[in-house]
Amino acid sequence: MRHESVPMYWRNIPQYYRLVAKRCRQCGAVYFPPALRCRCGSAELEDYDELPHEGRLVEYTVLYQVGTDFLKQKPLIVGLVELNGGVRAVGQIVDAQPDRLAPGTRVELVFRRVAVDGRHGLIMYGYKFRPVQP
Amino acid sequence: MTGVYVVGAALRPAGRHYGENIDDMAAEVLGKALADAGVDIEALFVASSTTELVNRQQILGAYILESLGIDKIPAFRVECGDGSGGAAVTAAYYALASGEYGCVAVVGVDKPNDVLSNQQVDVYAAVMDTYFERYFGFTPLSHAALMAKMYLKRHGYKYEDLAAWAVLMHERGAENPYAYFRRRVKLEDVLSSEYTSEPLRLYDVAPLVDGAAAAVLCRDRRDGPRIMSVAVATNAVPFNMRSEYDTLYSLREAAARAYKAAGISPRDVAAAEVHDSLSIFGVLAVEGLGLAERGGALAALKRGGLRVNMSGGLKARGNALGATGVYQLVEVAWQLVGREFKRADGRYGVVHSMGGVDRTSAVIVVGL
Amino acid sequence: MTRVGVVGWGVYIPRYRIRTEEVARLWGDDPQRIADVYLVNEKSVEALDEDAVTIAVEAARIALRRAGVSRERVGAVYVGTESKPYAVKPIASILIDALGLRNDILAVDMEFACKAGGDGLAAIAGLVEAGRVEYGIAVGVDTSQGEPGEHLDYSASSGGAALVVGRDGVAAELEAMYAYASDTPDFWRRDGSPYPMHGEGFTGEPAYFRHIIEAVRGLVSKYGYKPADFTYAVFHQPNGRFPLRVASALGIPMDRVKPGIVVTHIGNTYNASALIGFARVLEMAKPGDRILLVTYGSGAGSDAFVFRVTDVITERQRAPAPAVEHMLRNKVYVDYAQYLKMRKMIKLLE
Repeated sequence: MRHESVPMYWRNIPQYYRLVAKRCRQCGAVYFPPALRCRCGSAELEDYDELPHEGRLVEYTVLYQVGTDFLKQKPLIVGLVELNGGVRAVGQIVDAQPDRLAPGTRVELVFRRVAVDGRHGLIMYGYKFRPVQP
Repeated sequence: MTGVYVVGAALRPAGRHYGENIDDMAAEVLGKALADAGVDIEALFVASSTTELVNRQQILGAYILESLGIDKIPAFRVECGDGSGGAAVTAAYYALASGEYGCVAVVGVDKPNDVLSNQQVDVYAAVMDTYFERYFGFTPLSHAALMAKMYLKRHGYKYEDLAAWAVLMHERGAENPYAYFRRRVKLEDVLSSEYTSEPLRLYDVAPLVDGAAAAVLCRDRRDGPRIMSVAVATNAVPFNMRSEYDTLYSLREAAARAYKAAGISPRDVAAAEVHDSLSIFGVLAVEGLGLAERGGALAALKRGGLRVNMSGGLKARGNALGATGVYQLVEVAWQLVGREFKRADGRYGVVHSMGGVDRTSAVIVVGL
Repeated sequence: MTRVGVVGWGVYIPRYRIRTEEVARLWGDDPQRIADVYLVNEKSVEALDEDAVTIAVEAARIALRRAGVSRERVGAVYVGTESKPYAVKPIASILIDALGLRNDILAVDMEFACKAGGDGLAAIAGLVEAGRVEYGIAVGVDTSQGEPGEHLDYSASSGGAALVVGRDGVAAELEAMYAYASDTPDFWRRDGSPYPMHGEGFTGEPAYFRHIIEAVRGLVSKYGYKPADFTYAVFHQPNGRFPLRVASALGIPMDRVKPGIVVTHIGNTYNASALIGFARVLEMAKPGDRILLVTYGSGAGSDAFVFRVTDVITERQRAPAPAVEHMLRNKVYVDYAQYLKMRKMIKLLE
């Protein structure tokens, strides 16, 4: 797929690369994706770079109908993950066999290519998860 | 109390309309609706989800009016993804209720078949959070599949129970002259179809179709079913932060407000059209509208007591994206009076139009 | 404060493997002869969504975790590779943001065939000794290229190793180093060319052997070591035979070389080749052990390093970070078709 916007990727690098969230200074609630105002009413949110990189699978699916960025990568395993401490994120699950996954499977954050802008464009990276190998 | 009435309407059979430009397709159905109503309109509300992404067209309303040679009146575009139709009807209702206009039209149109199937996935994925969902390859389908898995487990159903939704929708679609799929299917067909995002299979995914629907709405002019109330609600919680995955929050909120404003309860509903872009959404919408108890929709489906989506729903009529909500309004209005559809056994009908994965829902109560 | 040295290490080997037997089957070679010639049984293959950048990030994350060094104290990142996903655009800057390092640090990509990863270690050691940075991360990484059916197809593989280098918390002190280089065109890749060319046998005597032997001899004579001083010796390993032969030429017993040989299991990871062997040895070393690490890069040059293992090693070995052994064991086999897809060697319309 042709991506026309470099800034759209660039400005989200902290989130894409290492799950930088926002945390409320008042009540401690964590927002990923980042929010501007906390549900407690406070507008004092700070960058929070300490989300755990490990967690457990809540649920997952194997997605076969994919968009043009992912045609050569299908099927994608898409998982809802609860990071240690309770914050959840949805991510692709890689290096995994679907029949060996189940809710509760331990996963860890990895850094992977997400999409590639044609043959000459930008390579866009981001987080995914993989099962923790015993 | 001000009354807003559906005084005229027209539908275009959903399909692959390769031969028409988007503005002309909308204009054609709008022209028919205007003729059906026999009134002049003072404003046009255009519901479209993908006119920029697919057709690279903006100010679509102006080009629709150009095709019909209608000058001077304002044309507004309403975009809420695949929930644009319900949102546009709501906006039109408010414009009438405010007293500003006496008669307006709502036209919904989208032409997803102007692009290839995998590009349709890109286009539809635009209803997701573009930075944190679409970027990673997530689509309404992937998230519906996660919700379906959690719903089935939590309420003790098997996939076969969910597969019955598609069977029922095809049965209804076979009777709808405007439906894309006008054939019945067997449960085995559903169960043997390919996975699209497990546990969901091909038949759990409504086909994206080219479609156009139009309704003419007038204030205080009692020659058609009345829009009793409208309500739109947004779910501002991102998917990953939601506390429940077996319910449609935006719908529950909108439904509560719409029922209250109309002064009716779910028991009064005789006709309902819900947004089953993915089968699980249809099931959750039945519960969200209070037409079955929480976790009880599939049991009701099994008992044969589910009187929703007489059109065949998005599954069989087709998912015409931004046009869908307008189709639904017309279908419910027509079911109440027995036009094109078998007459509903009651005075009230309800429309559920949803954008994205429970991002926004419109609920419209229609009555005689 | 001790001498500069390795504070932590991290290795990342992609999970997928292809057996050389499978490659031989496809190209009509005798699998037994191939195994005998290269002493490589299987090699690692990166997933479709992995490249030198993602592998570098994984290795560096593990190294930082093992070192227990906070991100703010890192002052330099050096990446050595010959598999940059971009011809022009650095990997080191991506590492800064992926690891959450400070932005006011030195970030450098280097190329010297398979030697650049080790060169980063030398460069950072100098910066630390000069007091310019507190810690640096040296990464050697490759998703090495080999023309299908050609010699390199049996060994060119993917992996990365990262070393956190500093003065505080050193697990292996850098005692000595010695370098040797000359213009010896044994292996090269022209700009825009997808696969390297090489001189087959010419990569041996005048290239690999000469440079490594000269570097080690220079080191030994300058600093007064004897071969018996080295508890372990780790060499660049383009195949299983070369490191054994070079050790024998240097009079180093086989049992001191074999622990650092990983090429038999994962193939030649180019810039990570010697460094992964080094990391594996660090995971079995005891305080007081002396480790000889010798890199080699075609074109050609060799760096020889001597490390003295400190008491800190046991703590680092127990750190909650994946071990090389774990990466070597944890694998999934792929066939040649999957291999071509994963390595993006199928021509696609994009």
